Amino acid sequence: MRFYLGFLRRYSLAIVLAIVAIIMAAFNLLPEDFWQILPQQVINGVSLGAMYALLALGFTMVYGIIELINFAHFNVFMLGSFVALWVFQALGMESQNVILYGLPLIGALLLALAVTMVSTGALGMAIERVALRPLRGISGTAPMITTIGLSYIIYNLVLLGVGADTKNYANPLPPTKWDIPPALIFGDQAEIRLREILLWVVSLVLMMGLHYFVRKTKLGKAMQATAQDQEAARMMGVDVDKVVQTAFFLGSALAGAAGMVFGLYYNYTSFIIGYSAGLKAFTAAVLGGIGNIPGAMVGGILIGLIQSVGGSIIDVRWTDVIIFSILVIVLVFRPVGLMGRAAPTKS
Amino acid sequence: MRRFKYLSGGIKAAAVATVAALVGIAGFGHAQAADKTIKVGITLPLTGADAEDANKIKNGAMMAIEESNASGAIPGYKIDVVVYDSGTATAGQYDPAQAATNTKKLVADPGVVANIGPQMSGEGKAMSPILSEANLATITPSSTNPDITNPAMAAQFRPKGKAVYFRTVTTDAYQGPNMANYVKDKLGVKTVYVLDDSGAYGVGIADSFQKQAAKIGIKVLGRDQLNPKDADYTTILTKIKAANPDMLYYGGVAQAGVKLAKQAYDIIPNVKKAGGDGVKGASFLKGVGFPAAEGWYCTDASPELMTDPKVQDFVKRFTAKYGVGPDNYSVTAYDAGLVIVDAIKRLVAANKPITRENVRDAIQSSKVMTLQGEVTFDSNGDIVTKIVSVYQYKRNPAKPVDDEAGNSVYLGVAPESPQT
Repeated sequence: MRFYLGFLRRYSLAIVLAIVAIIMAAFNLLPEDFWQILPQQVINGVSLGAMYALLALGFTMVYGIIELINFAHFNVFMLGSFVALWVFQALGMESQNVILYGLPLIGALLLALAVTMVSTGALGMAIERVALRPLRGISGTAPMITTIGLSYIIYNLVLLGVGADTKNYANPLPPTKWDIPPALIFGDQAEIRLREILLWVVSLVLMMGLHYFVRKTKLGKAMQATAQDQEAARMMGVDVDKVVQTAFFLGSALAGAAGMVFGLYYNYTSFIIGYSAGLKAFTAAVLGGIGNIPGAMVGGILIGLIQSVGGSIIDVRWTDVIIFSILVIVLVFRPVGLMGRAAPTKS
Repeated sequence: MRRFKYLSGGIKAAAVATVAALVGIAGFGHAQAADKTIKVGITLPLTGADAEDANKIKNGAMMAIEESNASGAIPGYKIDVVVYDSGTATAGQYDPAQAATNTKKLVADPGVVANIGPQMSGEGKAMSPILSEANLATITPSSTNPDITNPAMAAQFRPKGKAVYFRTVTTDAYQGPNMANYVKDKLGVKTVYVLDDSGAYGVGIADSFQKQAAKIGIKVLGRDQLNPKDADYTTILTKIKAANPDMLYYGGVAQAGVKLAKQAYDIIPNVKKAGGDGVKGASFLKGVGFPAAEGWYCTDASPELMTDPKVQDFVKRFTAKYGVGPDNYSVTAYDAGLVIVDAIKRLVAANKPITRENVRDAIQSSKVMTLQGEVTFDSNGDIVTKIVSVYQYKRNPAKPVDDEAGNSVYLGVAPESPQT
């Protein structure tokens, strides 16, 4: 009996989705073209999800270590998309008038990515050093409220600096796309674009790099130790301040990368993009189990898939309702999220 | 401490300069002491996703009032303009709550006798009841949702009864349906997918387009709503691609429109796309860019004015003054200014006190020759001439991307459909 209960809890989301799918299929509630467009919607959803996942990692890392939800993260992401835009503009690109191929393209992308990640990473460290370290050890919501304040400061500074209109992105990516033959995917013909592949590659490389860093390097192990028990880690000689700084640097750098990928993927940016993407990414972190790095990745991809596949079953205006209903259902059965474990050592 | 000394030196210098400037202004004022001042408000979303278009509207209105002040059109009076911004950072575009707050400020200022604005119908719905309570008339040069002036909804939007919401453009009771007629007759559209941006204007114009389309035999394959703050519309566009309509009709303004146009260009490049006046303008073009904007059809709820010979002098004055060209709604804003100036002038001529109530009555009985022709209002505040013009975006490499008049082609007047 206990085994079955555990099974139920562990796979609650899969079970809920399977039941919903069976009911819809049985009563013929699916739109007639659902299966034809499913492959394309999966591609859309995974792309969306990869971006949420990159963004969710920052939330989850910081929470894992100091149990703080960093709302400034929303707008670090937004700023990242602008930093990359400025790099592209400095390279002489305006809207989509300069298209690069081969090595120059890779060079330009890497340069923009490096500048963006370093500058948003540095901003993350500055946020931690200036505004959050003095509050460390203060219990209650003060540090979290501080991050909300910081978030608004960044938001309004960007608004003042660049204006409120939607910016056309400078984008060196060629608009290449490939058709996927129907035979391969049992559905209608689907398309895949170069920028989708770019998004997947960037996300995958960064996530694997982070995973490797946390698991294998000394600093990464120090992070794990700090996450388990800050006091004990300090006693064992771990420099906790440095660990926290690193977490902020990495999380913000990933947010910057997500910002750049966002701009290249959607071809626009605006001071307001942090809000909806950030909220979904935060949801992804909670769904996956906040504090858990693989959980954030899984949560991100799931939210992306739910948004696109769910939106193809019913009107897209209801997708937010679906996402948050699933979040509630999952949390009722598994309060620690899909992959989170109840942490016995945290106090 | 030393730093503060320098600072206080700076402050002293600034104070001296300010006092000098004030004395200067006061002196200037005395020289023209004969003129009494009345105030006219301007409320527009000057920041946010529609800022460029809103500023073109503001500049048109300002020009009318400044020119009338300069030429002494109203003997013995000068008009002071009070400008309020109804765009907020939270909304990222027009914010109805801010528009309501601004309206309350206008109402609280006893010197304000009329207002020009808003740009958006969402603002207008929030403003109209407050204006009605205060008997303060506004003239909108661009907001087109018909509900606000609909007599059947008077209890909601003008509880005091009298019209206070006047327009120098026609409404979406014509803009949507007439465009449906146009796309069927001229573009041969047989199937359509309709989207809106969940704003008051967007839902209204999409509804009216859809209703007329269904009536004249265009098959509506689907209808959905976009969240303007979302970034990703690929899900809905993939559905539309599978439905394969002849045309995508989008009711809404730039915030969602820009993203929709970019992603639609990628996913459904061969489907015709159209929208209302919400996608016509510099804000949309600048955000979307070319080639994504190429081929979009759009409408204005006014006659085509940019190529009208009578308007050319205005276009020149406007461009010389502000450095960028006007659009149709700069002209309708200028016309709104002319109507207000004319109303006050008639009150002065008739020796009536310039109160809000009298100004409203004078605007109601207007018969003013403006740039777009003679403007008269029906008892609900709607303009009597009802013309919807159709445009298509076509890149002209000689013009800057956000030059909307330079990058669009005027296609003609959309045929009116009998109203029911």
